[in-house]
Amino acid sequence: MASESPTSAQDWPGRYHHIDQVLDNPGPRTDPAFLAGDGVKQFLRNEAKILVIGAGGLGCEILANLALTGFKDIHVIDMDTIDISNLNRQFLFRQKDVGHPKATVAAEFIMNRVPGVKVTPYFGKIQDKDDDYYMQFNLVICGLDSVEARRWMNATLVNLVDPENPESLKPMIDGGTEGFKGQARVILPTISSCYECSLDMLNKPTAFPICTIANTPRLPEHCIEWASVLEWPRVHGDKKMDTDDPDHIGWLYKVAAARAAEFKIEGVTWSLTQGVVKNIIPAIASTNAIIAAACCNEAFKIATSSAAYLNNYFMLIGTDGVYSYTFEHEKRDDCPVCGGEALEMTMSSETTVEQLIEILVEKQDIQIKKPSLSTPTKQIYLQAPPQLEKATRPNLEKKVSELVPSGGEVTVTATTLPFSLSLRISYSP
Amino acid sequence: MSTVEASTTALITEAAPDNKTRRYDRQLRLWAASGQSALENARILVISGGATATSILKNLVLPGIGHFTILDPLTVTPEDAGNNFFLDGLKSVGKSRAEEGVRLLLEMNDGVDGKAETRSLEEVLDAPGGKEWLGEFTLVIAVNLEKGVSERLAGVLWEEESFPPLVVVRPAGFLAEFYIQYHEHTVIESHPETAQSLQIDRPFPALLDYAMSLDFENMDVTDHGHIPYVVILVRVLEEWKKSHGGLPPQTHAEKSQFKKNILAMRKKSDEENFEEAEAQAYRAWTKTVVPSETRALFDDAKVASPSPVEAPFYKLVRALKKFVGGTGQGALPLTSTLPDMKASTGAYIELQKLYKTRAEEEKEEFKACLREVCGGSIEGIGEDVIDAFVKNAHALKLLRGKRWAALDGDHEGLVQAIQTSSKQLSIHLALSALANFTAKSKGTRETLSVEAVTAEAKKLLPEGAELPDEFEDCVGEVVRSPTAELPNTAALLGGLVAQEVIKMITKQYVPINGYCVVDLVETWTGIL
Repeated sequence: MASESPTSAQDWPGRYHHIDQVLDNPGPRTDPAFLAGDGVKQFLRNEAKILVIGAGGLGCEILANLALTGFKDIHVIDMDTIDISNLNRQFLFRQKDVGHPKATVAAEFIMNRVPGVKVTPYFGKIQDKDDDYYMQFNLVICGLDSVEARRWMNATLVNLVDPENPESLKPMIDGGTEGFKGQARVILPTISSCYECSLDMLNKPTAFPICTIANTPRLPEHCIEWASVLEWPRVHGDKKMDTDDPDHIGWLYKVAAARAAEFKIEGVTWSLTQGVVKNIIPAIASTNAIIAAACCNEAFKIATSSAAYLNNYFMLIGTDGVYSYTFEHEKRDDCPVCGGEALEMTMSSETTVEQLIEILVEKQDIQIKKPSLSTPTKQIYLQAPPQLEKATRPNLEKKVSELVPSGGEVTVTATTLPFSLSLRISYSP
Repeated sequence: MSTVEASTTALITEAAPDNKTRRYDRQLRLWAASGQSALENARILVISGGATATSILKNLVLPGIGHFTILDPLTVTPEDAGNNFFLDGLKSVGKSRAEEGVRLLLEMNDGVDGKAETRSLEEVLDAPGGKEWLGEFTLVIAVNLEKGVSERLAGVLWEEESFPPLVVVRPAGFLAEFYIQYHEHTVIESHPETAQSLQIDRPFPALLDYAMSLDFENMDVTDHGHIPYVVILVRVLEEWKKSHGGLPPQTHAEKSQFKKNILAMRKKSDEENFEEAEAQAYRAWTKTVVPSETRALFDDAKVASPSPVEAPFYKLVRALKKFVGGTGQGALPLTSTLPDMKASTGAYIELQKLYKTRAEEEKEEFKACLREVCGGSIEGIGEDVIDAFVKNAHALKLLRGKRWAALDGDHEGLVQAIQTSSKQLSIHLALSALANFTAKSKGTRETLSVEAVTAEAKKLLPEGAELPDEFEDCVGEVVRSPTAELPNTAALLGGLVAQEVIKMITKQYVPINGYCVVDLVETWTGIL
């Protein structure tokens, strides 16, 4: 195991020959405030503390890059264990590591390979940690595959900002990939566009209507959904489906294939079955390398001021040549996380509470499941606990205009949202 | 439960995937077994074992490249040990950089074969049989070579069309570029975002008969709400043409009327299939054409003049041209892939069958054209290649490349690039000028400076041409860090170059044609 404290004892002469070329001299576009030389090296190598969220496809790359660029105190959080399908890209893991926690194995690998770097792993959820924990870092880099985790992290870092305390502003660098495509961005909480501001840029997940699945299947995917959504609970009752269990996938595949044969639908395969039920996104080493490098380069520039940093969104498409687009994503004044202004909602005075909930669930820029609604003075509809759900259920059929005056505010909460959303309601004539 | 199991036992289904398929699952979804097999049969040569080179190799070893060789005569220095993840810190210092790199890269994937070659590139090129040795590889990647030897290598590999493509990679601090040298590169499976035309404007006979045979009026209400939009459009269009001199809707007013006609056929106001037909109505008046890029292929000189040694691609294109001019009547072979649409299972499967049957017939006609083109036998071209070709006929790619560094001697090209791509060109000029300066000043006392590199850059441009404004920013960066392989730059190039190499080897997706330049100060990439 590597040394316990981030000292410079292992910084052999010449170790940072390459990096020091940009730390000893400013470039033409470097901020005049950049202090070339020992001060910036001291900060980078002995003081900076950086948090990496995710030790998967992006995380492995991020950890290696950070260690080589000279960050010595790195923390990493990941709740997953290693699966064989990770090995085509998550290069810190080997066959023998399958089943072990990603964060721990990755941290050990980095410490063995890059002397003098301390990587502190946490095998668990980001939600396990409190504000004090996040407060200790200078920077946060996210290499996640979940929208929900990104929203949580983003909201947490925005809420952490205390205008009186400049240290409370933690730049968040976020990367994401899908096949040959990816993006990297720099978020300065409360200052620049945050993750929530850009939620409407996400593709809508494919959802198949239940009536299609049940009555008019046309595609192999419809048959697979039938097997997993309808047949599994019918046959197995409360037994939970484990999409990592080959026996479970095998069962779904056979059931889906039988249904497909019955309806003369072609194309149900094992691979498609797994892809549909696990919502698998193609992932390759090269795209992860590009995006992770872009993220770490931003972290390095922010930590050292050796060059200007990305303002604020880099998007890459690698299917047809190398196409990339760098632009400034604008902050949203009505962003529920960083905007401060309530979201304006205009509806007919005939709209019922139930219809409003449907509109909210459909809305691409807020992406919410099972919202609960209330006004400053009363509860409109609560999803839980069951007693309150029952008590407020009669409101579903009422018109919103009976419960909220024009210009009134409605607060929306949901378990998937790490914040509450304010709506200002008005009625179209 | 018993019914489910009874119905599944009779079915022949595939077994659970093996370990290798599971390992590569996430990439097989991008390039399938055919792409994987191409990768596993590829042999890559990487010249230099530095940080950028091992970063590139990492992203080729992980997906399972067949073989790689690192050619590097140098031993590991403390400077190398500080910025290369595929060295073992100080423990590697003094050992062969090629051998250490190969050893640590191979740890990631035991399905890959790797070899260290400790000769220098000059030795290889000077030795008898050196050219043949290079020619054995599928592709060659050269990182950070000196100008003279890069030129020599590029020259040798350009001599024969059959020699491997060459990727030349040059990083300096936050800036970098790479170039792929190839004579030509053809792609059948380009994985386009657009689907092939359903040819609703010119329905094939069986589809037209089917659409006209349905009794919309007296149909059961449920069935009526489940007629696929393709059938509705074919029907409405046919009826429209009867009353409009055989023409589809032309003007905006006519198109609106056409949409109204569709909605007027509804039996209930909530028939989603008719709403879908209205939304897709443009397909009825959009003429099915051969895309311009495919048409351009028909006129290509190599397509026009058959050669005994040509790639199957040209025979296929020639056959396609024949098909379009003959039985295809101006259109590509019909697609067999139907998008999902509001329909009952029966109606959808029926329509799918019509498309599949017709597509199969047109494919047979295409094969007849191919047989003619090939002089009788098409045995050399596999059925899977023909299938892929027909399926991707609307998105075929033929890229013609230039020799590496051709741009630096092309005054016209440079002047044009100053006008159209000054930002991208500035990075290239700064890196080229730096390489020229380094070569020239070797063994002299001339020191690197912004002025010296700027002077070299001016020499690249024709007389009277001015350096682009952005050049100043770039020259400052390369002078600041002339020999720096920053770990992040190396990692980013590692991803980009590996991605392009995978596209070259698998012949899937579309690689770059020219230089890809990278600026990691403002974080953007460009093509020159």
